[in-house]
Amino acid sequence: MSRKSLVVMQSEFMRRVTSKTFILTTLLGPALLIAFFAVIVMISISAVEDTSQENESHRIAIVDETGVLNTRILNQDAGDHVLVTADLSSAREGVLDGRFDAYVRIPPEVISGTTQPVLYSQEGSGFGVRGTLGSIIERALEDHLLAERNVSADVRSILDRAVWLDTVRLTDEGEEAGAPEGYAIIGGVLGMVMYMTMLIYGSLILYGTLEERTTRVVEIIVSSVRPFDLLMGKVLGIGLIGFVQMAVWMLMFLGAMILAGPVIGLFIDPAMYDLSTTATTQEILTAANISLPHISAGLFIWFILYFIGGYLLYGGLFATVGTLVDSPQESQGLMIPLLMPMIISIIFLSPVIMNPHSGLALGLSLFPLTSPVPMIVRLSVTDVPFWQILLSYGLLVLSFMGSIWVSARIYRASILMYGKKPSLRVIVSYLRSG
Amino acid sequence: MGSLVLQGITKRFGKVTAAQDISLEAEPGRILGLLGPNGAGKTTTVRMIANILTPDEGTVTLDGRVVGPWSQEQMGYLPEERGLYKKIKVNNQLQYLAALKGIHTRDSVPRINYWMKRLGLQEWGARKAQELSKGMQQKVQFIAAVLPNPRLIILDEPFSGLDPINSELLREVVAELKADGRTILFASHRMEQVEQLCDDICLIANGKLVLSGTLREIKRRFKRDKLALAYDGEALFLDAMKETGDLQFLERNEDGCIVRLAEHCHPRSLLDRLLATPNLELYRFELLQPSLNEIFIRTVESQR
Repeated sequence: MSRKSLVVMQSEFMRRVTSKTFILTTLLGPALLIAFFAVIVMISISAVEDTSQENESHRIAIVDETGVLNTRILNQDAGDHVLVTADLSSAREGVLDGRFDAYVRIPPEVISGTTQPVLYSQEGSGFGVRGTLGSIIERALEDHLLAERNVSADVRSILDRAVWLDTVRLTDEGEEAGAPEGYAIIGGVLGMVMYMTMLIYGSLILYGTLEERTTRVVEIIVSSVRPFDLLMGKVLGIGLIGFVQMAVWMLMFLGAMILAGPVIGLFIDPAMYDLSTTATTQEILTAANISLPHISAGLFIWFILYFIGGYLLYGGLFATVGTLVDSPQESQGLMIPLLMPMIISIIFLSPVIMNPHSGLALGLSLFPLTSPVPMIVRLSVTDVPFWQILLSYGLLVLSFMGSIWVSARIYRASILMYGKKPSLRVIVSYLRSG
Repeated sequence: MGSLVLQGITKRFGKVTAAQDISLEAEPGRILGLLGPNGAGKTTTVRMIANILTPDEGTVTLDGRVVGPWSQEQMGYLPEERGLYKKIKVNNQLQYLAALKGIHTRDSVPRINYWMKRLGLQEWGARKAQELSKGMQQKVQFIAAVLPNPRLIILDEPFSGLDPINSELLREVVAELKADGRTILFASHRMEQVEQLCDDICLIANGKLVLSGTLREIKRRFKRDKLALAYDGEALFLDAMKETGDLQFLERNEDGCIVRLAEHCHPRSLLDRLLATPNLELYRFELLQPSLNEIFIRTVESQR
């Protein structure tokens, strides 16, 4: 790298790193991201609550035509729902005039299993009590059938046993306890951060280049610096800012992970788990079955490496767009083909999280224009075979070298052209001209 | 130190030849005026001198060495299409532009202070460029061009947009730089400025060099065919001469006229006839030197 690239790099870096925008986004960025995910989590939790209708009570009429299930149904805990015995015609009327929210008709053949109970309501489908009521009836039926056959209490208790799966992630380094949801969230956050930063820093290069052209300062600059050195200095200077921002975020993230345990511990009452009030945070978390996902240093390193690779690949291309247009509005059209692969990698974020070894996940994490986001997601949620990482990163490095080469040529040829947009044919001729 | 030589340089953009076989020389301690109508190839030529473009044919040398990144550090360039970073403080921009010319900040700071003061901008160094008036920004750009103590200074329309006071200030500074032995290239189509400032002239039209030499020599080359007359009385024979095409009136009023004589008419014979005319008292008989403006227009038109 030439001395002049260094001067450009230093200027780009110093000028932006001291700006209020940078300081604010660095400090507030994580808060915004956390708020964003918190909103998503809250929405999904409330959606889950909606389906179980825990907070809402319904009056439901039971029309038992079997003659044996009614008591067993009414004896069960129906939560906030109120279950009432009724005959068919009054249940029907009741639903229509609003006294009941729904009624269940249980035909006699339900006992033999040849037919199913039916839930009638004015809402038709999507009625939240369906799951709850279904299991109440199922249990009543089971109870009835077992009683008929004189099954003993200890056999009953065997049938009542439930199994809950605990999860442990097995890696080369050993076992890591932790909820898979934790890894999925980390994968999602890292994927989003990767996407956002590549986009933000790519755009900074674009607008920086565009500004130099629209203010016409560029002609003074290129009378001192080769366009290639200017491009490199700009890409590296802005990249360095991204790197610094990322490093600050990583430190904040690590700090948050260290503090997360004690903070969660503060919100848990030790008495709930029969622990003394002097129990340590670790004891409380263990008793509450909360384990925080462990993040390896390797993941951080790969994150930084993929950020650098993806940023360089897109950075050069964004700079080229900046030399081909005369205003931010004009740049939108040319941005679309560049943004497509990035958007695709975000669209497939959750399939990759769910199934990190699928063909889709592998393909996306090898293809250089999309690889940074899915690969970092896969690295967060699973063990990726080393050859895949190597191949993916190798392809990324080759592509960014190609992208910088192409960009430098177009950049050099078009940086002093104002007013007329070059056609594709002209752009190709720039590449040939050497 | 600082002699610039262009030898047969040609530059093509696709099918368009922007500069064709241009040769010229600029000497230290002199100002070379580069003239030409819009789109004549001035900017292309200047960009080749500044090593922003590379000529397809021919060479540009500074002190006998072909220009390249090395010569960019010896050159100050004020382009016609120019600007500053809007949001960066003036001093910081100048330090950056100086650093790109290879000047360390510890050396550029005192120079920046000197020039800011010299051009009356000492109060403005800590301001962002966008807070400065257009004229001030232009002076800042001029400072950027002279900051590296260049051997060669290229000024493309340096006075456009400056008020008369600042134009005068800039002219003084340019004269100082010339006296200091710098080579100065002054591109413009403002003829009166070129006439005032330049020692040598190059005229480019349609990408070709159509005229070059010292200002005096060029003016001498163009015949003094314009005549200013002032007299009392009647000189009716002038009208007769106009009818026969021997002269043409450029201006005419009660006291006299300015005429252009046809090729075959000698001023001397006209003077004789005026003196011989009865009741005519001649006050003024002056052969006028063509202005650079006229030379420019005539040369460019003869190219079409």
